Amino acid sequence: MGFWWRFNLLVFTIAILSTPVLSDLILSKVDRRIDLTSQIVRITSTLKVENAGSGLVSEVLLAFPELQAKNLVYLMATTNEGKGKTKSSGVSLPVEVANPKGMPPALTVYSVSLPKALGEGDTMSLDVLAVFTHTLKPFPEKITQADIQLVLFQDSAYYLSPYAVKFQSLSIKLPDARIESYTKIENTKIHGSEIKYGPYENLPPFSYSPLVVHFEINQPFAVAQELVREIEVSHWGNVQVTEHCNIVHEGAKSEGEFSRLEYQARPHIRGSSAIRHFVAKLPPRAHSIYYRDEIGNISTSHLWADSKKTELLIEPRYPMFGGWRTAFIIGYSLPLQDFLFESEGKRFLNISFASPINDLVIDNLVVKVVLPEGSRDLSVSTPFPVKQRQESKISHLDVVGRPVIVLEKADVVPEHNQYFQIHYSFNKLSMLREPFMLISGFFFLFVACIVYVHVDLSISKSSASYLAKLQWDEVRATIQQVESIINQCLATHEKIEASLRDLSRIGDVQACKTTRKTADGLLKEHSKELKPLLAFLQSSPAAANILPKVEELVAKERELQERWMAKHSIIVDCYEKKLGGREIENRVAPQQQKVVALRQEVEDLLEYIDEI
Amino acid sequence: MAPKPITSPVPDSWYPTLSVSMLAIGLVITASFFIYEATSSKRNRSLAKELTTGALASFFLGFGSLFLLLASGIYV
Repeated sequence: MGFWWRFNLLVFTIAILSTPVLSDLILSKVDRRIDLTSQIVRITSTLKVENAGSGLVSEVLLAFPELQAKNLVYLMATTNEGKGKTKSSGVSLPVEVANPKGMPPALTVYSVSLPKALGEGDTMSLDVLAVFTHTLKPFPEKITQADIQLVLFQDSAYYLSPYAVKFQSLSIKLPDARIESYTKIENTKIHGSEIKYGPYENLPPFSYSPLVVHFEINQPFAVAQELVREIEVSHWGNVQVTEHCNIVHEGAKSEGEFSRLEYQARPHIRGSSAIRHFVAKLPPRAHSIYYRDEIGNISTSHLWADSKKTELLIEPRYPMFGGWRTAFIIGYSLPLQDFLFESEGKRFLNISFASPINDLVIDNLVVKVVLPEGSRDLSVSTPFPVKQRQESKISHLDVVGRPVIVLEKADVVPEHNQYFQIHYSFNKLSMLREPFMLISGFFFLFVACIVYVHVDLSISKSSASYLAKLQWDEVRATIQQVESIINQCLATHEKIEASLRDLSRIGDVQACKTTRKTADGLLKEHSKELKPLLAFLQSSPAAANILPKVEELVAKERELQERWMAKHSIIVDCYEKKLGGREIENRVAPQQQKVVALRQEVEDLLEYIDEI
Repeated sequence: MAPKPITSPVPDSWYPTLSVSMLAIGLVITASFFIYEATSSKRNRSLAKELTTGALASFFLGFGSLFLLLASGIYV
C-alpha cells in the first residue's frame, strides 16, 4: 500500500510543477480501453491527433510513467483509417524511445513517426496498443486453497500525455468475477464487469488521477521463466520443433495444505485460480507430437487437428497453485514445404518466433534454429530486436557439426508470436554427403572382408598342415576348372540335341551338319584343355582319393559324346535317305537309352565332386 | 516473385518402399559377394570382381539404410 502512495505523490508533483510546451499537437479525442481479463494487461488507446499550431509535425509522443514502463513489453501504433465498419487494419508505424528536452523526470517517452507530416489544422487517427506483464499484483499475496485470488491494478484515470486532451474516456474490462473495490471519481459508472470513467473534457498535459481496481481473477497466471525452443531443419522433408518449458504460477502464493480430495470434489471452490491445463495452437499438419518430462511420457493430453491449426491441450501432472512450478518438453514435427522456401538463389526459413502456448508470459525466450550441415551465409530478419549468436551442434551423420543460430529475447508475450526469417545458401549436392557416409561405411566392411580373404595369416610357412592346405587348394582349383569344361561339353551336347529337334521340325539337313561340325571342333578343344588338368591331378598326391572319380567322370563324358555323335549321324543319314519316322526311331532306340543313362550318371558324379 | 516451397528431392511417401527395396537388393548382392568369396579358390579369385560386387552392394545398402532412417522418423 505504501508503494502507491509514494507513486501518486511523485506523479502529482510532476503534474503540478511541470508545464512544458511541446509541439502544438492537441489530442481531440482519446478512447482508452484497458483489458484486465488475463494476466497480460492490454491497453488500447485510440487517439485523434490535431495539429493546432502552424508548423509541420511528423511525430507523436507517448508517455508512460517509469514504473509502469518497466513492465511494458510490447508497443505498437497503427494508423486508423476509416470509421466503424470500413476500418482497415492500419499500417504499423515505427515507434522509438525518445528523450525530448523539457520532459518531467520519471517518465519514459516513445515517439511514433507519422507516415506523412501533419499540416496546420490537419487531424489523424492513431491506434496504440501497449502490453504490460507482471502488472497485476496479487493482493493478498498469500492465499489458501479455498480463497479466491484478488489482484490490484493501478493506473491513471486521465490519459497521461505531453499534449492537452480535449475529450477522453476510459473503459476497463474486468473478468466475470467479483470486483472488490475501485476508485470512484466523478463520472464513474459500472456496468456488470465493465467500469467506465469519463468522459472528461479539456484536461491539461500531464494530468494524472490515480486509479486502483481490486478484483478477482481466475485466469491462469502462467509464466515461463525460461523457454528454450529448438527448431531443427532437415532437407529430407521435416522441421522438428522441441520446446523445453519451465512454468511457474505467478499469482497469489499458495499457503496452507493442498487437499486433493477437496480439489477434485469441488474444483471451482477449492482451487478456482489453479492452472489446470495449457492450450497450444500448433501449425496445421503437425505430426508426431510428444509431451514428456524428466520422469517420462505424460499421457494427459488431447489433440484436435483441422486444416487451419492443430490444437494441443496438455495437463501437467498436478494442478498448479500459486508459487508452484512444473517443467515439461513438447515436441512436434512439421512438413518442410510449409516453412522452407527458395527465392533468389537463397533458401529461407519462415517460422513463428514465440511459443504456441496460449496466454503464456515468457521471462526469457531462447530460440535455437539448427540448419543442416553445409549451410552458409546465414542472416536473420526479425520483426523486433533480438540478441543473436551462433553455435555449432553435432547431430546424426555429421562431420563438422550443424550451424545453430541462437536468438534470445526477454519478456515475450503472445503478441510477439510473429514470423521471422533466416536466409542461408545451401548447395544441393551437399545432401549427398549423408548417404555417401553410409555407403563408405559399408564399403569399408567389404574391403575388410576382401583383405582378410586375400591375406595369408599363417604363422609358419613350412609346417605340414600349411603345405597340405596349399596343395588341397590347388587341387580344388583344378577340379573346378575340370568341372567347368565338362559343363561346357554338356552344353555342346544340348546344342546337338537342339539341332536334331530343329531337323525334325524344319528338315534342314545342311544346318544340322554345320552344327555338328562346330560341335565337333568345340569338343576337341575341350578334350585338349582337359589333358593338362588331368595330368596335374594325377601327379598331385592330395588328389589321390578324388582322382578315380574325376577320371570316371571324364571317361563317362567321352562315352556320352560318342553316343551323341552316333545318334546324330544315324538321324542325318536317315533324313538323307528319306526314311520314315518309325525307321528312325528303331535305329536310334539303343543309342537313346544309353544316352539318357549316361547323362544321369555324369550329373550324379558332378554333384558328388561338388560336395567335396 | 513468390517464394517457392522447398521439398525433399525424393517424395516422402516413397521412403518406406525405397528403403525395403534398396536394402533387399543390397543384401542380395552382399550374399553373392560372400558366396563368391566362399566358393572360389585362391587362384580363381579376381580382385576386380570382388571390388565391384562390394562397391555395388555398399551403394545399395548405404541408400537403403538412409531411407530406413528417414522412414522411421530420424530425419538425418
